[in-house]
Amino acid sequence: MSEPATKPLSPEILSALGAIVGEERVLTDAESAARYGADWTRVHSPAPAAVVLPGSVEEVQELVRLAARQGLAVVPSGGRTGLSGGAVACRGELVLALDRMNAIDDFNPVERTVRCGAGVVTEQLQQFAEERELFYPVDFASAGSSQIGGNISTNAGGIKVIRHGMTRDWVAGLKLVTGTGELLDLNRGLVKNNAGYDLRQLVIGAEGTLGVVVEATMRLARPPKDPAVLVLGVPDMASIMDVLAAYQGRMDLQAFEFFSELALQKVVEHQGLQRPFDTPAAYYALLEFEQVSDADMEQAMALFEHCVEQGWVLDGVISQSVAQALSLWRLREDISETISRWTPYKNDISTTVSKVPAFLAEVESVVNGAYPDFEIVWFGHIGDGNVHLNVLKPDALPMAEFQQRCGEVSRWVFEIVQRYGGSVSAEHGVGLLKKDYLLYSRSALEVDLMRQIKRAFDPEGIMNPGKIFD
Amino acid sequence: MKVLVAVKRVVDYNVKVRAKGDGSDVDLNNVKMAINPFCEIAVEEAVRLKEAGVATEVIAVSVGEKACQEQIRTALALGADRGIQVETEGSVEPLVVAKLLKGVVEKEQPQLVILGKQSIDGDNNQTGQMLGALTNMAQGTFASEVKIDGETVNVTREVDGGLQTVQLKLPAIVTTDLRLNEPRYASLPNIMKAKKKQLDVYSPADLGVEVKSHLSQLKVEPPAERQAGIKVEDVDQLVDKLKNEAKVI
Ligand SMILES: Cc1cc2nc3c(=O)[nH]c(=O)nc-3n(C[C@H](O)[C@H](O)[C@H](O)COP(=O)(O)OP(=O)(O)OC[C@H]3O[C@@H](n4cnc5c(N)ncnc54)[C@H](O)[C@@H]3O)c2cc1C
Ligand SMILES: Cc1cc2nc3c(=O)[nH]c(=O)nc-3n(C[C@H](O)[C@H](O)[C@H](O)COP(=O)(O)OP(=O)(O)OC[C@H]3O[C@@H](n4cnc5c(N)ncnc54)[C@H](O)[C@@H]3O)c2cc1C
Repeated sequence: MSEPATKPLSPEILSALGAIVGEERVLTDAESAARYGADWTRVHSPAPAAVVLPGSVEEVQELVRLAARQGLAVVPSGGRTGLSGGAVACRGELVLALDRMNAIDDFNPVERTVRCGAGVVTEQLQQFAEERELFYPVDFASAGSSQIGGNISTNAGGIKVIRHGMTRDWVAGLKLVTGTGELLDLNRGLVKNNAGYDLRQLVIGAEGTLGVVVEATMRLARPPKDPAVLVLGVPDMASIMDVLAAYQGRMDLQAFEFFSELALQKVVEHQGLQRPFDTPAAYYALLEFEQVSDADMEQAMALFEHCVEQGWVLDGVISQSVAQALSLWRLREDISETISRWTPYKNDISTTVSKVPAFLAEVESVVNGAYPDFEIVWFGHIGDGNVHLNVLKPDALPMAEFQQRCGEVSRWVFEIVQRYGGSVSAEHGVGLLKKDYLLYSRSALEVDLMRQIKRAFDPEGIMNPGKIFD
Repeated sequence: MKVLVAVKRVVDYNVKVRAKGDGSDVDLNNVKMAINPFCEIAVEEAVRLKEAGVATEVIAVSVGEKACQEQIRTALALGADRGIQVETEGSVEPLVVAKLLKGVVEKEQPQLVILGKQSIDGDNNQTGQMLGALTNMAQGTFASEVKIDGETVNVTREVDGGLQTVQLKLPAIVTTDLRLNEPRYASLPNIMKAKKKQLDVYSPADLGVEVKSHLSQLKVEPPAERQAGIKVEDVDQLVDKLKNEAKVI
């Protein structure tokens, strides 16, 4: 693989880029470089050589061909809300931002599918669906900025995975511009297509290392009926899983999230939200379920009583209106944004649901022992076996030192992950931040096969090099 | 001191309402209903008075079809002690509601009646005031603060241009504005307890009121659809369009 260019681009290359997308859509100013060269992480300093904003599939193809000829590394860029540095350009890469390719068309009510440009913002698709009395169920706090291309490339999960699965489950087809500039039209919206390998599935979650996703056909669902939100106070992590088992045994939950008391405190303090109840609890579980009939509410209440009798739940509230449901959701959804001011070190780890209590007990004891002086905020999609462990940086501590200390502790956490057969990145991808830890959840052989697959899609090694693996 | 709070069942604030195909009314079929937000604030205020030891009993009353018992139960879960439903059919006008509430006031003799300043469906902003006229009780409307002081209540009102505080002799009527308080969530243990609280049902006849309709609704139609905006290329084009197309500058 050729080394990516780190020097400023030559005037010839710049004008060749301009000839493809129009001069004004080649950005080299410092502000654009800083904006387009970074994602939500703040670990690396952005330093792209240039940013280009193509407006069509053909333009993307031409840009990639040019990059391949010149040995220029390309970073595909979506909403840049990624949490692992996948969209970071810090080594003189060409950032290819898909913002302009944001058309939604070809809505098919029979198939319940719709075609999206890669730059369609997740929330734009959610609203499109809502206006047609349908539902796009992949949702999380960054949906107002993240793009379908980015969601596909990270196989984004979010808060409804327990019921609706990950982004992967909603991609009926996609178009990819490979590292040689060729266009692949994968699966074309088919429900059934066993004619050979499903390359679409390889592209989903590839973090831009196999090519540029330029278009996708997304599936839509029927909207949930009258969702009700419960927030329960729970004395310890083990009880959360007991509550989950109790509810899941009897109801189809739409969501099962959790957060710690410190997370709640931060959100209440910084977002001006109301505590759900005064009873103190170590952890909180947030559940959402559909009220198809009165029986659902009765079931939820009966389960609540049972959980209280068992000592798994201390107190709880339930939304009485849509406004209250939204406010209760904010207690969970606003956590990421609230704590971003402490540039948290994030671990996004998972194991199978049944192993979560033992797994978390071990992680908790390691973390509490290792960070006696740090604030630790726990939250996440615990119903999927996925927790976000956030270590907040004390304001006085320099970033480099903080990163180093967290990096060391991460190794201990990941050793536990490895023993439990879990994942070092449940839904945020690997990017730059988790690259050093990939072997804790993937075998050397697996990673070697990934490299070979990348070479097949991208023989020049120009597509987002240095992400996931070196 | 007994406090009576009125609660109304309305379309949930966050639901986008639609007109029926024939334009006769808002389509309520399968639409999520909730307690009127201003009534929720009224309940919260009454419960706080009870928690502060000022009120001894809080009674939640709703005028409506059987389904409005759901909203009474919500009020009971929030902390009201017992409920009263005055069973009526279809939509009832503010004047009828005020007459029915007057009947309940005569039965219960509360020192304070708290209502929402308006309900978000009819947007009438009349019931509290009509009840004041019918019962001859003093009224403090659009309250942003309520302070009981012996035989009187001080009500701070949100009026144009500022705040006005009025002192009313008890018994009195207060209607709530948005900033009076922030209602709590209904806790699950309290929802369960609420199921066992007393809820009496009266007919209008029990209260000596004849339900009459003085108004007929001619037509309900959605607001005109707004035209999509356009993106201008630069400031010059914006100024040009404001001058020559919109003619606003
Ligand atoms: C507040 C907050 C909450 C979040 N919550 C969740 C959550 O609950 N669940 C979850 O899964 N994630 C969550 N995330 C992270 C999540 O991965 C992103 O929100 C989202 O999926 C990334 O989309 P994006 O368009 O911003 O991608 P970017 O950050 O722009 O890119 C992500 C990766 O995809 C690549 N990429 C982007 N577009 C393309 C394309 N068109 N073709 C090829 N490659 C492309 C980039 O190179 C990069 O490697 C959260 C983030 C924030 C900030
Ligand atoms: C009456 C009838 C009805 C059918 N209806 C359906 C239907 O409704 N839907 C449908 O999808 N299919 C249907 N099929 C076909 C279907 O593909 C097979 O029934 C079944 O899935 C194949 O399983 P098998 O074990 O018989 O595989 P085989 O026929 O033995 O093998 C199928 C392929 O898998 C490979 N293979 C087998 N085992 C392994 C292994 N352990 N590891 C790696 N590769 C392996 C073989 O090399 C071969 O390429 C039907 C077939 C019949 C005869």
